[in-house]
Amino acid sequence: MAPAKSATRQMKLALHIHATGHHVAAWHHPRSQIDAGSNPRHYIEMAQLAERGKFDLIFLADSLAIRLGDVKAKGRWPQYLAYFEPLTLLSTLAAATSRIGLVATASTSYTEPYNLARSFGSLDHLSAGRAGWNIVTTGNAASSRNFGRPEHFEHEDRYRRAQEFVEIVCGLWDSYDDDAFVMDRASGLYADLDKMHVLHHEGESFSVEGPLNMRRPPQGRPVLFQAGTSETGKETAARNADVVFMQQQSLERCRSLREDIRGRLPKHGRDPDEILVMPGMAVTVGRTEAEAREQHDFLQSKIHPDVGRAILSAELGYIDLPEMPLDEPFPLDLIPEIDGGVRSTAQALRRVVEAERPTVRELYQRYANGRGSHQIVGDAVQVADELEHWFRSGAGDGFIIQPAVLPGGLEDFVELVVPELQRRGLYREEYEGATLRDHLGLARPESRYARPALQDAN
Amino acid sequence: MSDRKMRLGASVRGLGYHPTGWLDPDVPADGAINFNFYLDLAKTLESAFFDIFFLADHSAFFSPNIPEGALGRSDGGAEFEPITLLAALSAVTSNIGLVATVSSTFHQPFQLARQLGSVDHLSGGRMGWNVVTSSRDAEARNFGEEKILEKGLRYQRAKEMLDVCFGLWNSWEDDAFPRDRERGVFFEPSKMHPINHKGAFFRVDGPLSQPRSPQGRPVIFQAGASEAGLDFAASKAEVIYALQSDFDSARAAYASMKERVKKFGRSPDDIRILPGLMPVVGETRADAEAWKRQSQKDLDPIVGLQRLARHFGDLSKYDIDGPFPDEVKSISGISRSDLYLEQARREGWSIRQLYENAVISDQHLEVVGSPSDIADVMEKWFTEGAADGFNILPAKSPRDIHAFVELVVPELQRRGLYRTEYESTTLRGNLGLPDVPSPWV
Repeated sequence: MAPAKSATRQMKLALHIHATGHHVAAWHHPRSQIDAGSNPRHYIEMAQLAERGKFDLIFLADSLAIRLGDVKAKGRWPQYLAYFEPLTLLSTLAAATSRIGLVATASTSYTEPYNLARSFGSLDHLSAGRAGWNIVTTGNAASSRNFGRPEHFEHEDRYRRAQEFVEIVCGLWDSYDDDAFVMDRASGLYADLDKMHVLHHEGESFSVEGPLNMRRPPQGRPVLFQAGTSETGKETAARNADVVFMQQQSLERCRSLREDIRGRLPKHGRDPDEILVMPGMAVTVGRTEAEAREQHDFLQSKIHPDVGRAILSAELGYIDLPEMPLDEPFPLDLIPEIDGGVRSTAQALRRVVEAERPTVRELYQRYANGRGSHQIVGDAVQVADELEHWFRSGAGDGFIIQPAVLPGGLEDFVELVVPELQRRGLYREEYEGATLRDHLGLARPESRYARPALQDAN
Repeated sequence: MSDRKMRLGASVRGLGYHPTGWLDPDVPADGAINFNFYLDLAKTLESAFFDIFFLADHSAFFSPNIPEGALGRSDGGAEFEPITLLAALSAVTSNIGLVATVSSTFHQPFQLARQLGSVDHLSGGRMGWNVVTSSRDAEARNFGEEKILEKGLRYQRAKEMLDVCFGLWNSWEDDAFPRDRERGVFFEPSKMHPINHKGAFFRVDGPLSQPRSPQGRPVIFQAGASEAGLDFAASKAEVIYALQSDFDSARAAYASMKERVKKFGRSPDDIRILPGLMPVVGETRADAEAWKRQSQKDLDPIVGLQRLARHFGDLSKYDIDGPFPDEVKSISGISRSDLYLEQARREGWSIRQLYENAVISDQHLEVVGSPSDIADVMEKWFTEGAADGFNILPAKSPRDIHAFVELVVPELQRRGLYRTEYESTTLRGNLGLPDVPSPWV
């Protein structure tokens, strides 16, 4: 028997997939799959490769509108365009993989809680316990116009609605106790309906009767992800989330946000270790630093100025930006005033502009790869050094890897960086268990009905 | 006409239509939420060149506790959501059509068009959508309403839902995505067509966030039997599930539907009419009859009465084997309940005979017999103007699917009535339905 490994804390890794890659010019690169967004084979091969690299999970972002903005720019930047709907794609990947977690973004503003509880519960059953839900509230007008609303919900409304939505969905997942389906052929009893719980939810935004027409998911509830670093965002994450995803360029800021979020858990009756904080990392790795640099420079050179402006517009909340001289400093007064409601990406961008006064070109190049995330360009040792430094500094419990180009960037990461992290004992050599909760070291939650005495006491 | 082939689908939700399926020790009792159970079915059906793998669905668990003590005594309450299940099956199959039942009453068109279009892409053009309007208050109560929308309004909503989805599925021209690295052009803005729909139920700008799908759009299925349902089917559906149990009325309904589609500017060849068929097959007729008798014997009367409760309320106070009580009336407001009532009166059935004979096969044609008995009925319906094929309803799944595939399919092939290989990799292609061209060419 092999000696037990020392219980070193190891980093978790997620693979964030945008069809052709995270760099806005990824589709120009020969190592991107140019028809990625309608090519299931591309995704199946990536998922299987990520699984060979022992990634904890695949993470899919989503949008409920193509958010056209500047059509000239969009024609050159196919983000949230020509791509699969995440829940259906992950269901396909569930059948083609066996261990890797499958996390889809879905909105609490434009779906029905009953339908969403079914879809994610179904994915958890299909994958034998590997589903995760990235909860977003959706804050753009283009999406609202695909769902019959002229304006999107206000920030605080969205979060209040989201909280109610999440509570309903989690309640529906608990509709049946784990042992409700007795399936006893001798007595002819299929289900013990004393173990069925009808939700009877009547709230401000929703009324949902229940029960869900589904067994309790294998994970009890799929793993809950949340992004957003506004005050409300942090507070709802501390209340609900198992994993917090953030896109920040500074280690110090990630470290303090992680401490901040962890510190909020006890007042919700949770232990700080019940939440994982995972910053995004826009990684470009090569066999040599020069090779990585060459790929990066190629991509940066392919950013059309219209696309550059569109990226910054998106970070600032899809505002209109005028044409600007590319090599002059980005005008500070174009950034909307920060109030309680503004998106956290705009706040992060303001901090960068205030601190460094970059030119327009420098600024959009900085956001071109992985948007607000920290960028690493280097060989395997350099990438591993940086990830190790951030990990040991307490900036994250792991990272959401955002390869510039897909599948090329994933192939390089699995071949070059994964073995280096494993050699350092920083990353798993084998999956610890079968479910996504097992990989992340998160306990399977008890049903809300598991301890009636405690419920009554509240 | 001689090369006209029968189309076959199978309706495979859970353990079949007979409530005793789960009692069989050879069957996984948790089939409805067991991926391997469905995987085996899909592979079996694909090996027999079935056109359609079909999943019925409801947006609630509403099995009533009528009579008292009935709840929990049959399988149900634990099943997959169909679109996700079919997306998973798309990865492990290559020809069979994947058809999900989805309610037009409880979804928003933008997200639904995305999901169904996405599975059409994932499966290489094998998606179908059985449009239902949902009829139960228990479903409405999961979506913020006390009562289900009135039937006329449900069909208006369904019609508008399809108009919006069709618009979204056509919101990109076939060649809108040149993905040209040289020119730096990923898509051509001039080939994008937002729909800017404003209707009574929906306002949707579009465009959809995916290219036009391999089939242009999923194949539309419909099964309504009311006047509103028949018109809806005639105007929009490509495959129509018919609820018929005798040949003469099936033939009349077939002719009437083929005529009805003309009213909407469509050709009779643009639709396929597939009556439901529950085959109870054995090596011999005696085997099949014995199997059926045993199934009926295994059926707990309280479960049979529960099946009738939706249509007629609690019948437990009557003699289950006495004459069917005169005072019993339909309480459901759906056409099927009236059909049951007529049938019981016409045949002089007792309550037990009604649930044994009709409610289990759900008003569809049931044939109990040898492979050639079953093929005879299918051949007659198919060649004499009552059907383009059949939607096979297993009484017990997977037993009756395996039996049909092993015993009846070879008989149909021997008679030249059924294919011996797939003609296409798309659902519309296998059904022999016309392509749906882009409106922008």
